[in-house]
Amino acid sequence: MAKSMIPKVPMYPFLLGAVKRVVAVLKTPDAPVKNLDDYPVNRLANELHPDRQKLVVDKIVEHSPDLKTFVFRPDDTRGTNRLAYFAAGSYLSIHYTDENITFTRPYSLSSSPKKALRDHYCITVKRVENGIASNYMLDHWKVGTMLTASAPLGDFTYEPLRDASHVIGIVGGSGITPFRSMAYAIADGDEDFDLTILYGSRTLKDAVFTDELKALSETCPKVKLVNILSEEKADGCEHGFITADLIKANAPEGEDYSLFLCGPQVMYEFADKEIAKLGLRQKFIRHELFGEYFHPEKDKDYKGDIGAEFTLTVKMAGKTFTVPAKADTSILRSLEAAGTEAPNQCRSGRCGWCHAQLLSGEVYTPARVEGRRMADLEYGYIHPCCSFPLSDLTIDVPPSM
Amino acid sequence: MANYDVIVVGAGNGGLCAATTCAKAGYSVLLLEKHNLPGGCATSFVRGRFEFEPSLHELCDESTNERMRSMNQIYADLGVKETFLREEMLYRVIAKGPNGYDHRIKATKEGFIESMEEAAPGCRQQMETLFELNYLFDAAQIYMDDCGGVSGMNPVTLLTKYGDFIRAAGNSIDKLLDALGMSEKAKSLTNTYWGYLGDPPRDLNAMHFISLLAAYVEGRPSMPYDRSHGMSLAILKVFQECGGEIWYNSPVTEFLYDDSGAAIGVVANGEAIYSKKIISNIIPNNVMNLSNSKFVKKAMRKLANARTLGMSIQTVYLGLDCSMEELGVDDYSVFVMGDPDANVQYDRRKDMGLYIVNCLNKTIPDASPDGTCMLFFTIPSFDGDFPADLKPQDYKKYKNALAEKYIRDYEELLGIDIRSHIEEISVATPVTFARYLSTPNGSIYGYMSQGWDNVVNRVVFKDLENKVKNMKFCGGHSLRGDGYPSAFITGEQMANETIAELKEGK
Repeated sequence: MAKSMIPKVPMYPFLLGAVKRVVAVLKTPDAPVKNLDDYPVNRLANELHPDRQKLVVDKIVEHSPDLKTFVFRPDDTRGTNRLAYFAAGSYLSIHYTDENITFTRPYSLSSSPKKALRDHYCITVKRVENGIASNYMLDHWKVGTMLTASAPLGDFTYEPLRDASHVIGIVGGSGITPFRSMAYAIADGDEDFDLTILYGSRTLKDAVFTDELKALSETCPKVKLVNILSEEKADGCEHGFITADLIKANAPEGEDYSLFLCGPQVMYEFADKEIAKLGLRQKFIRHELFGEYFHPEKDKDYKGDIGAEFTLTVKMAGKTFTVPAKADTSILRSLEAAGTEAPNQCRSGRCGWCHAQLLSGEVYTPARVEGRRMADLEYGYIHPCCSFPLSDLTIDVPPSM
Repeated sequence: MANYDVIVVGAGNGGLCAATTCAKAGYSVLLLEKHNLPGGCATSFVRGRFEFEPSLHELCDESTNERMRSMNQIYADLGVKETFLREEMLYRVIAKGPNGYDHRIKATKEGFIESMEEAAPGCRQQMETLFELNYLFDAAQIYMDDCGGVSGMNPVTLLTKYGDFIRAAGNSIDKLLDALGMSEKAKSLTNTYWGYLGDPPRDLNAMHFISLLAAYVEGRPSMPYDRSHGMSLAILKVFQECGGEIWYNSPVTEFLYDDSGAAIGVVANGEAIYSKKIISNIIPNNVMNLSNSKFVKKAMRKLANARTLGMSIQTVYLGLDCSMEELGVDDYSVFVMGDPDANVQYDRRKDMGLYIVNCLNKTIPDASPDGTCMLFFTIPSFDGDFPADLKPQDYKKYKNALAEKYIRDYEELLGIDIRSHIEEISVATPVTFARYLSTPNGSIYGYMSQGWDNVVNRVVFKDLENKVKNMKFCGGHSLRGDGYPSAFITGEQMANETIAELKEGK
């Protein structure tokens, strides 16, 4: 018999434990196992991040024929009774389908978080040359149009522990939308920071929400708007582009400030060069989603034949099919053009929702939109939204839920 | 009529290991995952120039006995290649309060005993005993394995030869350490890892805890070089090479049974898919909710309702724009305790109980770009701790307040400046885990393994409690409780049992 190292510890509780187990189960009343929705933590998770939200267009504000704000409400006829709350600066991935067209695109929420609690979301859409989705929305969406949206997404939001207490928004064109949401969130007391919006546009007429934001800044001194017009001069407005000097002139004296950038890609190209002159720490510079990537052939490290055409062999949850693909078109766009719905949200390489496995072939991923995990590169996983084929490919793409 | 030999539901650590083990044995396997990534908690996420490790603190991947399964051995046997970097130090532990202290404890048995003796003089022999006990536990488990389970064992042998196993398996770590005559300080230091199992020491199973502690100490903790996402992709590579199929974004919406109540398949993507066997990496509660109630066994339902949900965590992930040297941090794992007594830490957790701060750059110097480092705060959150009435519009403020509280505390404790360096911040709560894992109340540990639901009892009662023909369960909610190795080992075990049944045509 082995000598005990712990003679003072009794053996009987072991047997008693087994008895206790039998008794515990026996005396538990027989009731169905609770559903996930019965747990408060899961309920809150669903309220904040519903799998999808069924929406209907409630109102359309026409700023001009080429610029409209769509106001959505929850579509209770399709099971959505309320809208998910969000942090100002978030976006929705909007999915729409009818007999003519199917598309999924990210749009910043331009309304205040508070409005979500009153059953309203707004997005503001501008006409873009060759813009399949935006132009269709502007030309065909009416009050009553039904669509589906994701939960609010993204990280272009103010974080008090990370960002300076003064944020300067660098805005180009319809990039104003997340800042409109932030401005209202500040006015409503839901966010607490100083926001100076440097709003670049060609003319004052192009600078949508100017009057509204000016009015807001009069009652809410934390919000300030500066219009910068490139193609006209107007009273009270700056003329030209958003330069380093202009940023400095609007920065708080002797204090840190954060730059939040949202606008078209050409604006990023220009603004990034100007910002570099300011010598700011990286933590104080934040970009909204880059947007879809076009013209990879303009990149120095692009080694493909941009005119080439390839075949994508797609594996999707047990099914295999082929899709034509062009070298100058993202894999996601080629899938969509062939009528295949593939998962996507940000379409800018950042959110990872389109994560897919490259089984054979080669792709090009521009460095600007490289958002993959380290192991993805090692094991051949790609983000189809910003990957361009360099050869015939076989890819495993998850179904779109 | 079966489309596959085996369907594995859920690609967490347990599901990945089960699926790969079956595929390696030559069976056709379909692995279904509801998310767009493998791994469950074993994943990573990118913010700016940082890639964060969401849940793993450290792996204890080496067993103290070659007959016992370990992650290392499972990886080696499956042919999975992954780089793990080992830690020199087990942990730094800072306890607050009048009897507080600040010590660094080394890994390896010799190092551990030496640092324990230094911190709490006179505990050397007691520490030696803990390791001796662990060797005996291993021997006892091997004996039970060799007997082919509970029914084949000779109770006399078990009681006479492995009596201390029975003693430790039926009592709490508090009771065992008291019986050894350990001082309060030595107990406090020994109990540092209690949060890894999630039960306060008065309820924490002594056998379970000593095995865990010994595995960390003797194996030396380690971290995967390319995050847990790399671990998941490494094992998936082998799975796919063996012909296994994985479908993402494919949640199981129903489990299917024949008239006798035997599992025959699942519904995913709107289609019925049939298999001879099913291994569920998802918690039995969810399986029952996705099954026609007439096929849900009363005993399983009552067991699920009788159990207490396991721990979840609240976490703060920080990407800092300074190196760890500039920050003034020199440890991978720091355990901060509101009080030296672990039971008090549990009881006062809403104020300040236990939290852990990891700096991955200490173990993996190039885990983030030059001139930056990452900090990862973990605060245990037990079922019912998270404010049930929190409104969606207050959630962001809640997360910020949580982060600020712990960041400030750590800054004051170490006399360092974290806040002015925060380049990226992300805060996760049980809500986050509920969102990504769909577990009840965001539990990441399955069920609490205390009292009658300790791991030994789970093993003893396994075949009595799961009466669903053709279905087995692996993962943190399964036999061995939470943790990466537990999930891997149960995954392998359930796969091997499944393979044996398939071979016998059962």
